[in-house]
Amino acid sequence: MARPDWAADFVHLHVASSYSLRYGASSPAALARRAAELGMPALALTDRDGLYGAVKHAVACKEAGIDPILGADMALVDDADIPRGGGGAPWPGGGASRAGVGAPWPGGGAPWPGAGARAGDVVGEGPAVAAAMRGPARLRTDDAPRITLLAVGARGWASLCRLVSAAHQAGERGAPVVTPNLIADHAESLVVLLGPDSDVGRAIAARRPDLAATALAHWRERAEPVIEVVDHLGAGETFRAARMARLAHESGIPAVLTNAVRYLDPADAPVAQVLDSARRMMPLARQRRADLAGRGHLASGEEMGHVAARIGVSPDRMLASTAELARRCALDPRLDMGIGGRFMPETVGDSFALVRARCEEGLNRRFPRARSRARRMDARHRLDHELAIIAKTGLASYFLTVADVAESIRGEGIRCSIRGSGAGCLVNYLLGISGIDPLEHDLIMERFLSERRRNLPDIDLDVESARRLDAYRVIFGTYGEERVACVSMMETYRARSAIRDVGTAVGLAPHEVDAVAKSFPHIRAAHIRGALAELPELRTSGLAGPQLAEVFSLAERLDGLPRHVAMHPCGVVLSDTRLLDRTPVETSIDGFPLSQFDKDDVETAGMIKLDVLGVRMQSAIAYTLAEIERATGDRVDIDAIDHHDEPTFEMIRSARTLGCFQIESPGQRELVGKLLPRDIGDLIVDISLFRPGPVNSDMVTPYLEIRHGLRQASVPHADLIAALWETGGVVIFHEQVLRVIDTMTGCGLSEAELVRRQLSEESAREEVAEWFTRTASARGYDRAVVDRVWEVLAAFGAFGFCKAHAAAFAIPTYQSAWLKRHYPAAFYAGVLTHDPGMYPKRVIVGDARLFGVPVLPIDVNASAADWRVEGVGAAEVPAGVTGGPSAGVTGGPSAGVTGAPSAGAPGGPSAGAPEGLAGPAGPTGMTEGLRAGLKEVKGISEAEVERIAAGQPYTSLRDFWERAGTSRPVTERLVLVGAFDSLYPGGSRNAQDAGEVEVVRGAGAARGAEADRRAEAAGGAEEPFLRAGAERTGSGQPGPAQAGRVSRRDLLARVKVLDRSRKSPRAPSARGDRPAHSQHFTHSDHVNHHKSDADMVRTHEMTPERAVGHPAEPGPQPGQLSEPDQMQLDLGSSSGDGFADMVPAGGLRELTAPERVEAELEILGIDLSQHVLSFYEELMTELGVVRSRNLRRCHPGQRVLVAGVKVATQTPAIRSGQRIIFVTLDDATGPVDLAFFESVQDRCAARVFGSWLLVVRGRLRKVGNSVSVNGIECWDLAGLADIRAAHGVGAARAAMAAGDVAAAGRVPGSGTGGTQGPQPARIVYANGFTLSPYAEAGAPGGEVKDAPRKLWHASPGSSGGWARSAP
Amino acid sequence: MSRVYGEPIEVWVRGDKPARFVWRGRLYTVLVVLEHWVVSREWWQQQSPDPRAPAEHEFWRVEATPGQSIPAATYELRRDAATDRWLLARVWD
Repeated sequence: MARPDWAADFVHLHVASSYSLRYGASSPAALARRAAELGMPALALTDRDGLYGAVKHAVACKEAGIDPILGADMALVDDADIPRGGGGAPWPGGGASRAGVGAPWPGGGAPWPGAGARAGDVVGEGPAVAAAMRGPARLRTDDAPRITLLAVGARGWASLCRLVSAAHQAGERGAPVVTPNLIADHAESLVVLLGPDSDVGRAIAARRPDLAATALAHWRERAEPVIEVVDHLGAGETFRAARMARLAHESGIPAVLTNAVRYLDPADAPVAQVLDSARRMMPLARQRRADLAGRGHLASGEEMGHVAARIGVSPDRMLASTAELARRCALDPRLDMGIGGRFMPETVGDSFALVRARCEEGLNRRFPRARSRARRMDARHRLDHELAIIAKTGLASYFLTVADVAESIRGEGIRCSIRGSGAGCLVNYLLGISGIDPLEHDLIMERFLSERRRNLPDIDLDVESARRLDAYRVIFGTYGEERVACVSMMETYRARSAIRDVGTAVGLAPHEVDAVAKSFPHIRAAHIRGALAELPELRTSGLAGPQLAEVFSLAERLDGLPRHVAMHPCGVVLSDTRLLDRTPVETSIDGFPLSQFDKDDVETAGMIKLDVLGVRMQSAIAYTLAEIERATGDRVDIDAIDHHDEPTFEMIRSARTLGCFQIESPGQRELVGKLLPRDIGDLIVDISLFRPGPVNSDMVTPYLEIRHGLRQASVPHADLIAALWETGGVVIFHEQVLRVIDTMTGCGLSEAELVRRQLSEESAREEVAEWFTRTASARGYDRAVVDRVWEVLAAFGAFGFCKAHAAAFAIPTYQSAWLKRHYPAAFYAGVLTHDPGMYPKRVIVGDARLFGVPVLPIDVNASAADWRVEGVGAAEVPAGVTGGPSAGVTGGPSAGVTGAPSAGAPGGPSAGAPEGLAGPAGPTGMTEGLRAGLKEVKGISEAEVERIAAGQPYTSLRDFWERAGTSRPVTERLVLVGAFDSLYPGGSRNAQDAGEVEVVRGAGAARGAEADRRAEAAGGAEEPFLRAGAERTGSGQPGPAQAGRVSRRDLLARVKVLDRSRKSPRAPSARGDRPAHSQHFTHSDHVNHHKSDADMVRTHEMTPERAVGHPAEPGPQPGQLSEPDQMQLDLGSSSGDGFADMVPAGGLRELTAPERVEAELEILGIDLSQHVLSFYEELMTELGVVRSRNLRRCHPGQRVLVAGVKVATQTPAIRSGQRIIFVTLDDATGPVDLAFFESVQDRCAARVFGSWLLVVRGRLRKVGNSVSVNGIECWDLAGLADIRAAHGVGAARAAMAAGDVAAAGRVPGSGTGGTQGPQPARIVYANGFTLSPYAEAGAPGGEVKDAPRKLWHASPGSSGGWARSAP
Repeated sequence: MSRVYGEPIEVWVRGDKPARFVWRGRLYTVLVVLEHWVVSREWWQQQSPDPRAPAEHEFWRVEATPGQSIPAATYELRRDAATDRWLLARVWD
């Protein structure tokens, strides 16, 4: 008998891939490939805590030609530790019973001695201490015992899926646990591997063979246990392995050898160590030594043979058992896992007959014979064709299911529309899944479904984002949890997260880690060092030194490893009732069952995947429609509006499309300005052209030239006219590619679709070219024509766009533009409430002003939770709201509700809406204004919003305080943004005087609180607030202008008083020596008990003493008494605010205009009362800044200076492969679109990313209706304003000439003519399309969209910085 | 009682295992390997951590004797995988 060659037969049965989150370091594909290279017949994947990688493993093994084995490595706890009912209910008794490892068996109660020591991560601390340090007890710790389960056959796979689901139910979220009983419940066809980390293994390690034997006996009663022997050559490990092997021998249980694999090669061990550190949230230096042997690699069979020999206890038998178990557990992906199958929800009856019947019904409804016989005939013909394909592919029940889902979603009143290629399918239209008639837009079905494609087609549904989860609930309600689950996705390591985890692991300080990580844009981890060398803003950062080099090199090795399971934003999977036999599910954060498979895996596993995508624009449209109805009573059926509305297209052509779906980005505004759309068809072209492919292969220019008659349209052959006439001979759509191929070769559209797909594959291209040339020539086409057509196909075919998809997009695009044109106030309310676009909300608010929609501040009586339309009479528009006296609201649509964007803008009132675009007046001469919603207030809770809305109206601050019950910081924020101004009229208007004092001095004078305190400490006589206050109240008596007017500062002081009375209700009332209603308000009130937003307005200013200029004067004065800590309120005795005499009206100076805007930006992120730039008007005029609305009048090529608030930065893929930084500035008269090319990025990039207010010099570019500027130099506007305030405008100009005006704390760039760095790498595609690897990576630093929630002039040290560097 | 040495030694290896070594001029013959384990280097403790060099220390605890008539004692040998240098770490005698 020949001795078998064990080395050749060895199979790894315990392998963690990267889908063992923060544990495994290698991908399933890499592991399977290696196993095959090592000559192994099979490979197991036993990831920790789930089967996330199972399908990928099965597919990878199939590709590598080996058998997959599947299992899971799960944490084990005692049955008694599981709360009844499962689902992570809080543990009632605290953690004492689980502080140790916890023997899961009754009777084995006492934790074994050795195991206890393992429970603490913290070296030198007992388990109890460690548990206490971790805070609230968790059901399991990182050191819970673990067992590995292996599936045998189809039944075993189902048991495994169900057991893993049950483990997630039993544990807390993200920390699943199994118990002996849970395993017993699902034991059918499962093998339990008991390794060194199992309860049995730990008993052996602790030299307690008695406990080990008991535990093993328990396992035998419940399942099929197998002993797993591991030896990583740690200290003492070989002995422990031998004892395990002996235990198996003595108990008559097989022992198998594994290597508990975590990575491919020994050299990967450091990656696993970093993952350990990330998982335990603990630097490596504090970890146990035991983890550090570094031998958990995918060892060869020969190596494993050595290990067996080293352990020395019947090595041959152990290896034989290993091979035998591997043979038993090898799965057939198709038969055992259902991979490649198709499992659809059950339908009653013959599903094809049902589809046909419902389509006939739809045909009669959509194409009534009476209307057009010809169209009806076309539709009938097309329907027969499509049904034939559906019959052939056997997908009838798929269509029924989707139709059913769409119908149930709409039944709940949720807007639902189709997206993607499915819009080209007439059956979808007739079944009511789609609202787009494919015949009208000349769409074809084969792009969506062809009889030659094996896999299921995708039907994607767009629903209102705000109701996406409602839509999911509808689907779960219809099909039940046994048939439906959400699809998961893995968030993976990218540059920032990888740097964070590696930095923390090696022990860098948290703030250092944070700073380094944040300096990178959102790029892949693999590009870290490349970016460091190539990106100008990183090259100057000083990060490239040797200290961090190893951190970066290790961080790159984390690239792409999964780190979090998340719910896919739109994927829902449907199957028959055996869904849970085929996929494990866990619970998402939102409480939905979540498949552990991602979207590719569920398709591979034969389930239907539906994309139900939440689209914010759909929510915005729904909200707009509701607002129209609420405000005017009009019911607009948006899905039935005229698609040829000229005013709407006029607006689109003028590129005033901020807020509209798809066409609001700078690039799209430029494109619509050039393309000048006249109908929906043009919008479809526009959307198709605005893609990286078309832009990069320069389809845009020829198309535009032909469209505008600058070039002759030409088609290679007359036969192609039908396919190409709509785009003047330029191939733009996939559908055209299909038709061209079909026309030239006669292969049919289904085949043509397959050919089209091959066009993008380099490998297949030559073959396709040969086939095309041969077939087309055989059909009699001239060789020259064939070659020319092929050239066109090869160049554009892979990059064209699916016309059906564009058509599906064009509808909401048009709808949003129509709403903006005809119901601007309601439209802005919808857009601001659901925030669908790319710009910060303040840009939309600015656009509303430009469209003549008055923007109204938050008001405790008038504001609802969300943005609302509100009728505004001409007299009612507060001056501060529209921006100044020049903003005459005259009513009437054409007269123009101008709403000048900023007071004192040099351009005057002409800044208003352009002719014909002004908002329509509501009934009775009222204008429709836009009222800000309460939800915009920073930190406000949903409950607070609800209470405020429910309690309206309020009669006073006190009334509000008592009934709305908002927190003090929120109340203060409401005060600061003027939400009470309507209750105390006059206050804010008087402030105009005070405001002007400062406006004259420019924004540079309005510094942050910090600078103010500093100025004051230095006895600064220039302190503007003090001066303004003194001027008006210097006598100690409120001036006549103030009498009886309550300022926001007064109100803040009152909030403070109210807050104290809430904290100490009924403080000892009315001491004898005091007048009964005298209130005490003392200097010692400075002590702020909580830090609140009132700190923004300096606390010391809120006391009357300060305001009247007698800071330290003792003794009672009218309205104020000084006795420390004597604060009481006779709340019961009076109505109204009850304490008006204590904080006298007008006693405190009103906020100045800059202070108001500052508060708005801080609290709302929106400069509501006036545009931020209005504070820089003078400086901009002095510098000669050209405003957005005047740019059109400049010549192309002219050098201009522009300025504004940065509202968008993009680094998209563009033709030349450069990384171009596109920036949009908002300068209060409209957007200014800028491009910074690589040649100027060395001196500009850091500032462009780092500043919020920018001044840019550049060269004007004009194409069609669109204007943009190529940036050459840039400066920080706030920095310039500071310099001007301190040293005059001459100094500001000098600083600009020197090139050194940066935002706070930044090292000025290398100045003009700075060093040129290396040329960034390019990704070059086969057709010459080049791409910067950093394209689309987003900007470093924060998101531009969130930027404004900070003080615009908060640039501590900026003027000082300049002073230092000034000559 | 064990004593700690940390002195360089010269080792002859046969089939992956130490067979003989010279310490302080005397030749020791390894009779039996009692235990063998490895510890990977704590790369993150270095001045500039370099995780690419997976250097480890290999420990061999052996019974050895300098001569047939002399009773065997236990010796712990340590090999630095990166440099292939050996140390005598500890001795039990």
